[in-house]
Amino acid sequence: MRIDNHKSNFIDYSQPLSFIFNNKSYKGYQGDSLASALIANNVRFFARSFKYGRKRGLMGAGVEEPNALVSLEIGGRYTPNMKATEVILYDGLSAVSSSNPNSFDFRAMIKPLHRFMPAGFYYKTFIKQKVWSLVEDSLRSLSGFSKAPSEVDEDVYDHVFQHTEILVVGGGVSGITAALEILNHSKTARVILVDERENLGGELLSEFSTDESSFVWHEDNVNKLLKFNNEENSRLKILTYATAYAWYDHNYIEVLQTHASGQSTQRESVQSARKVLHKIRAKEVILATGAHERPMLFETNDLANIMLSQSVRRYLEEFGVISGRKVILYGNNDSIYSTAVSLNNNSINCQVIDVRAPGGESEIVLKAKDSGIDILQGYAIRKANGTSSIKGVEISKVELQPKPPHWQSQWRLTKDLQTLECDLLATSGGFNPVVHLDCHCGGKTYFDEYSQSFLPQKNRKNRKVCGAVNSVGFWRDAILDAKNKAQQSLESMGEVKKASIQPLNKECSNYYKVDRFFTPIEILNKPKVFIDMQNDVTTLDVALAIREGYQSIEHIKRYTAMGFGTDQGKTGNINGIAVAAEFLDVPMSEVGTTTFRPAYTGVDFGAMAGREVGDFFDPQRYTTIHDSHVESGAEFELVGQWYRPWFYPKDGEDIHQAVNRECKSVRNSLGMMDASTLGKIDVQGKDAREFLSRVYTNAWMKLAPGSCRYGLMCNEKGMIIDDGVSACINDHHFIMTTTTGGAASVYSTLEMWLQTEWSDLDVHLNSVTDQFSTVAVVGPNARKLMEILCQDVDFNKESFKFMQWRPGRVCGVNARIMRISFSGELAYEINVEANYGRFIWDQVALAGKPWKITPYGTESMHVLRAEKGYIIVGQDTDGSMTPMDVNMNWILAKDKPFSYIGRRSFSIAALNSSDRLQLVGLLTKDAQVVLPEGAHIISNQGISIGYVTSSYYSSALGRSIALAQLKGGLSMMSETVLVKIVQEKQGLKEIPCEVSGSVFYDVKGEKVDGNE
Amino acid sequence: MSMALQAWLTSLVKGNIMFLIDCPYCKESRDQNEFSPAGEAFIARPQNPEALSDEEWADYVFYRTNHKGDHWEQWVHTAGCRKYFLVKRSTISHEVIQVSTFGEINSENAS
Repeated sequence: MRIDNHKSNFIDYSQPLSFIFNNKSYKGYQGDSLASALIANNVRFFARSFKYGRKRGLMGAGVEEPNALVSLEIGGRYTPNMKATEVILYDGLSAVSSSNPNSFDFRAMIKPLHRFMPAGFYYKTFIKQKVWSLVEDSLRSLSGFSKAPSEVDEDVYDHVFQHTEILVVGGGVSGITAALEILNHSKTARVILVDERENLGGELLSEFSTDESSFVWHEDNVNKLLKFNNEENSRLKILTYATAYAWYDHNYIEVLQTHASGQSTQRESVQSARKVLHKIRAKEVILATGAHERPMLFETNDLANIMLSQSVRRYLEEFGVISGRKVILYGNNDSIYSTAVSLNNNSINCQVIDVRAPGGESEIVLKAKDSGIDILQGYAIRKANGTSSIKGVEISKVELQPKPPHWQSQWRLTKDLQTLECDLLATSGGFNPVVHLDCHCGGKTYFDEYSQSFLPQKNRKNRKVCGAVNSVGFWRDAILDAKNKAQQSLESMGEVKKASIQPLNKECSNYYKVDRFFTPIEILNKPKVFIDMQNDVTTLDVALAIREGYQSIEHIKRYTAMGFGTDQGKTGNINGIAVAAEFLDVPMSEVGTTTFRPAYTGVDFGAMAGREVGDFFDPQRYTTIHDSHVESGAEFELVGQWYRPWFYPKDGEDIHQAVNRECKSVRNSLGMMDASTLGKIDVQGKDAREFLSRVYTNAWMKLAPGSCRYGLMCNEKGMIIDDGVSACINDHHFIMTTTTGGAASVYSTLEMWLQTEWSDLDVHLNSVTDQFSTVAVVGPNARKLMEILCQDVDFNKESFKFMQWRPGRVCGVNARIMRISFSGELAYEINVEANYGRFIWDQVALAGKPWKITPYGTESMHVLRAEKGYIIVGQDTDGSMTPMDVNMNWILAKDKPFSYIGRRSFSIAALNSSDRLQLVGLLTKDAQVVLPEGAHIISNQGISIGYVTSSYYSSALGRSIALAQLKGGLSMMSETVLVKIVQEKQGLKEIPCEVSGSVFYDVKGEKVDGNE
Repeated sequence: MSMALQAWLTSLVKGNIMFLIDCPYCKESRDQNEFSPAGEAFIARPQNPEALSDEEWADYVFYRTNHKGDHWEQWVHTAGCRKYFLVKRSTISHEVIQVSTFGEINSENAS
């Protein structure tokens, strides 16, 4: 409900908003969070728990909330697993619970069985018994939180790169102070201040609301910041509603900022980003991340309306809402008194139960006593009463045992029981400094006995911690701490000569006098004492994990799932460590924490992707002839980043019909192909020839200008990494071609050899892939066409031989014409400056009409080369194949003086074993069956002895052909092997095939000169 | 698989690593995105591979020190000057301690 006449700095009561939650309409106000608006509307249950399906209400007020998971909006704006506490209300918002607490839930129905479902239950019951496959589907449907989105996200997300001297994480008292201190004492340092809330100030205005001066300080200092912010060329950037969720190496921090209005970006005329991912590189980081309160442990502590004391106070002071009328506050420190005073000031009936014995009361305790609040000291809550929502508590007196046995806690609860009634319970078991971010990148924590918390390690380079994360809880102390740390940062940046430090006394690091973790064994041994609400982990689960031999907290975490999930155990994890310490009988420091990893809070996939979606996901490369392919109706295939024509369907042809037609034209008359995407590297220098000779396996010293040669490139392991034809322009100049996909890595590898090993060679490399367009003219009529296109070159087969190139003018354009072939047919590749590519393509098409010239794509190219047994590196080889494995011993030079790359490895015994996978041809006994690529060849024992790498239907041969890697295949010619395939409707089938050579067509190579 | 997708998947598996590297040629501190690692430094290619035993050759091809602590490695400024250079990096804290061109530092004077 809402408090009458509440004055808030945050809520604008003049702006009512309406929203929908679980299909019901509600009203809230500008400034509400979804959680606060629902409290105002008396909504008590937010979701069901993960494992047992228990109805759960709110526990926190911020990112620490474990229970209230909702999904926002529908369709293309659907966002799963948001915490209701971190969603700022906007008009028209619609949300549903991750699992609806008001509908039927199977997990809740089997309630009587819950006690038989401890940690490890599913594993022991189903996986160990080998029946997992039978139950997996139904169990999976029960698990998880919100449903995954099913539609394309219609919002846009942005990435912003930020650079700053100082990044202050946390906009509470410490963060504000630190930012101002830097700005005031440096004339140049840029500052970015990040806070997860919409307003700066953190807990100040709720935690210290009874202190009027806190409001004055807040207004004064926020105004100072805004003044800096509004300056022209401001050095200050304030990011609110933004969470720093990850800290990576070299002070690289990622911050996710939500579009404050939350309105649908579609409704606005300009599409603005729903969320912005800031990628911040900072010289110095000041962490003022604060602390999360941790709850107290007792039986059925998960009932609705059991909340954190700090959260109750924040809902009351900031939002003017409360979810009960009779409140009990329970804890082991003074924070609960501060909440009690707040409640009392708002005339809400409350009672305090403090586990600490009377004596040594601080100011706030005395203030609460003076206000007439009912206080029970030295009492503990054993159990919360109620079915789904709290109705009361059972309490007992706490006694201290005189001699605590070893490390176990010294408390014992007396047998006397009292029952108290309440409808809201607020607890505080102390504070967990938010050390997460600091630990993402190597920071360690240590357990501080004095403040009873894990604190960030004292000194880290370029990082300071101040305020509550440094266990300085009182706001006036935090101001001093923040100023000191900012001064230290200024000193390390050289902005001030000597940091001016005002010392703090020791007491300020436990302002609330937090007592030791309250873990009496009488409570821990009860069922349903929940540690981790989100994953339904209880104290008994931890005990079981330890009994079963898990001693490390990392193992206990994984066995029980404690600290998993979207809240990452922000409220539960440290309590879990205390419980483990109790059961293990060791000090907290010995148990330690689990590892904190990014991300601190959930990050939308959309935000990670930013604008790099759809067309912007990866660069797209097109040849200069691309438009022509589009006009011809080509289907495209992605090769590396290149869009290459795959095939050119005509009149409703499917891929097989089109490919058969294209292949037939090439074999019988004339085809043309855009080969511009092949990698081209210009190699120049006195030692160019020597260089090629070192990186290729074959000989290059005698290759004359005007000639070309095919080369195979290996790495030092002796494995094939690339192949291609290089042309000798002159003794100091070669053009190397590489595979389309391998161009970048080959270029890089060649540079590595030149720069790191062979700096004495006079060789310069330049990538010229994009500078040349290549049109391949292929088929028995190619020579006739070339003679029409180019008059200044003699195309006679004696003067212009296979594997030669000639300079000439093709249709008036300077060209290098190479007579090379990837199909076995007579072929010329016309290389021209890239901008002439389209022109030459069109001229070739026009002049080729008499021979019905046919453009063909990569699919036909694959069929044509497979018919000839030419390998494709990366398809027929996979980085573990030597030239011997692909039956290419002929390309290994024996007498080169320099031991070329890979050569030494060829003589290693393992690479000469006869049962290596070797490239062979496969001919199916039934000529019409086309084997699927990747299908395995199996031995008589049913074991894989190889697999199919390439497989096509060859129209020229009227049958299917395949290339395969087969164990010892080269010595199995004409033998029959079985290939196991899955056929539609027929299931698994074994296809008998004959092992053959890998050249299927024109075995003697007679077609390469054409048919004259 | 596209390179962007590959990089993204790698970052998911290995976590985001985001060094700042001072390129000794460009004389600028640039984001790691622009660079590619190129293995441990000072592993010279043997002068006469044919004279080595299989074990010695395998040592050159496969075996690396996998050193914990300050470690010299090769990097290349792929999206910049395309030069290979040397980086001394702590494999514990990922701090870049020193960068150098191949001329300045070699296996003898490296520390």
